[in-house]
Amino acid sequence: MNIVRKQLAAAAVLALAGAAGLAQAQPKAAEPYRVGALLSVTGGLAVAGLPEREGVLLAQKVVNARGGINGRPLEILLEDDASNPDSAVSKANALLHTHKVIAIIGPSAIAQTVAIGGTTQSMKVPLLAFTGLGPPVERERTCVMHMTPSQELNARAMLSYARDTGYKRVGVLHDSGYGQVIWNSMKTLGGEYGIDFAQVEKYELTTTDATTQAAKVKAANPDAVLILGTSPAPFRNVRQLKMTQPVIATHASSTYENIKAMGEAADNVIHAEFLVAEDPLPQQKEFVEAFQKEYGKLPKNFAAAGWDSVMVLAAALKDAGPNPSGDKLCAAVRRVHQGAMTRYDFTAPDMGGFILGGYTYSKLVGGRYTRLDYKAGAAK
Amino acid sequence: MSIGLLEQAVLSGITNGFIYALIGIGIAVIFKGSRIVNAMQGEFAVVGALITVFAMQAARMPYPVAIVAGVLVGALSGAVIDVLFVRPMTRRGASEESFLLLTIGLSFTLAAGALYFGGRDSHLLPGFGGQGVIEILQATLPVHAAWLIVVATAVVIALRLFYTRTLLGLSMSAAASDADGATSTGIDVGRMRLLTFLLGGGIGAIAGVLVTPLISMNYQMGIGLTLKGFAAAILGGLTNPLGALFGGLALGLLESLAVVGFPSGYRDVVALSLLVVIMIVMPNGLLGRAGRRGG
Repeated sequence: MNIVRKQLAAAAVLALAGAAGLAQAQPKAAEPYRVGALLSVTGGLAVAGLPEREGVLLAQKVVNARGGINGRPLEILLEDDASNPDSAVSKANALLHTHKVIAIIGPSAIAQTVAIGGTTQSMKVPLLAFTGLGPPVERERTCVMHMTPSQELNARAMLSYARDTGYKRVGVLHDSGYGQVIWNSMKTLGGEYGIDFAQVEKYELTTTDATTQAAKVKAANPDAVLILGTSPAPFRNVRQLKMTQPVIATHASSTYENIKAMGEAADNVIHAEFLVAEDPLPQQKEFVEAFQKEYGKLPKNFAAAGWDSVMVLAAALKDAGPNPSGDKLCAAVRRVHQGAMTRYDFTAPDMGGFILGGYTYSKLVGGRYTRLDYKAGAAK
Repeated sequence: MSIGLLEQAVLSGITNGFIYALIGIGIAVIFKGSRIVNAMQGEFAVVGALITVFAMQAARMPYPVAIVAGVLVGALSGAVIDVLFVRPMTRRGASEESFLLLTIGLSFTLAAGALYFGGRDSHLLPGFGGQGVIEILQATLPVHAAWLIVVATAVVIALRLFYTRTLLGLSMSAAASDADGATSTGIDVGRMRLLTFLLGGGIGAIAGVLVTPLISMNYQMGIGLTLKGFAAAILGGLTNPLGALFGGLALGLLESLAVVGFPSGYRDVVALSLLVVIMIVMPNGLLGRAGRRGG
């Protein structure tokens, strides 16, 4: 009996040793590249954060389906800052210190980007933010890349179209958040573009009605109306007042959800934007087709920026090698990248390289976007 | 300042005033019949509007049938809230503050439910009379806004007649103002409160169906509607649907005229400051102490 026990024990020891040896001999599963995505998926900025998330997740899926980066999968840890800068700071700290991410995609808004950019910059962790270059302090943050244009450029894009189309007196309706920031830039540019602001009216970010503000703009009889904001309400109000002037808007209000809420008022609205998915440019086709296949709908600008952020990072990781230092990864991100939304130049002073010529102008006809034959900066 | 602009501001103010009033009327009805301050009245509007939208789009119901479905579901959701939450809390002797907390919590719960089932998109319903506008002097009014004004006025008149001329309406008022006394005269207080929530939910749903063609509707609009409706109801004396109508009109006109008289960035500051002044001068609301008793 003792012999049998000893034999069994010996067999067990041998089996365990064999198993351990086998485990050591097997190649270790490839360690994923762990990246944070800090987006405003709930709250007031969800209009941008949700499509950004769709673009990010789609790109992650495509990158991993192609075999990952340097043979390693891409793992994206999604966090929602609820459109709140304070929350963004704590979520960013968790991504950086607890999850040890090598880069962060996002945030969705400028306050959040400014708030966390100082930390990511000092840690040399690339931040691919869905904002344009903001306050002067951001010029020092060379590891904070900007995936969308500055509000000054958005203002210039609208004024260029107005000037080149012959509108000299424009009315402005802007909201108290995003639109206010654009207006702050726009009001100093009127003289440069030879445009007079006939009437400027503000409405609350969450307003459901801006009819009286629109009536004041109507009373000034402008050549065109610029709407700076994300709410569909002022678009409806302008048409309810039987205003026949052209309406020009920014890419932020250019979403399919928004034009659905505008109803018939969406017709003929002109957007200064980047992606007309009904008629994509050659470099946008792959993204548009993949997005439509994945989600069964057409993408717009924010989703394209989300996709681009992952593709930019994937290309940089590939170039920087398997385990790059923060400095090396930042340097690898800072290059020219042809994206679905636009051609980025992260070596440019604005850490995004956005130019007026990169804008596409669209007109809504029957709920569908049509590309206009116009390029900003081409006419004087 | 042109006369046309002033006319437009008045018309817009009246339209918005009736929107606020429709929510405020529902708050007043529930307070009148239960003494509960209902912080989720705007959610009934969201429920009514989204059910109507999906009844049309998913179930392919004709618009009038979809509206009936939306109003019925809104009314039923009011009744369900009474049965599941208010009734057990009443049995345990819950205070007025507890009910306020209950309705605040339920407003978030219903908004989350609307998000889960209805998605994030904003929805529009067809306007009664299409997308047309009526030109009045130098101003315009959407045809649907005229319908909204007519229906809201009819609701107020019907409620006034109901509360002053019918046994059921009088019983509902009595059950809320003196439950023990009402019980001693044979009134089933619990049933009256159930009917109050049914009525409040139905009026909220009517409000939702009526405002959606003008302002569109999504899952997170309930709280904003409740706040404006709440101001309208308090201005009107809280227990009086007719008062809520006057309160809503006062608020809508103040907001609209503030934009005409001041830079538009000061709209809420001017309108809400004037509301504070009104409440100091008329602490019982626009209709005074007598109005608080009215129907």
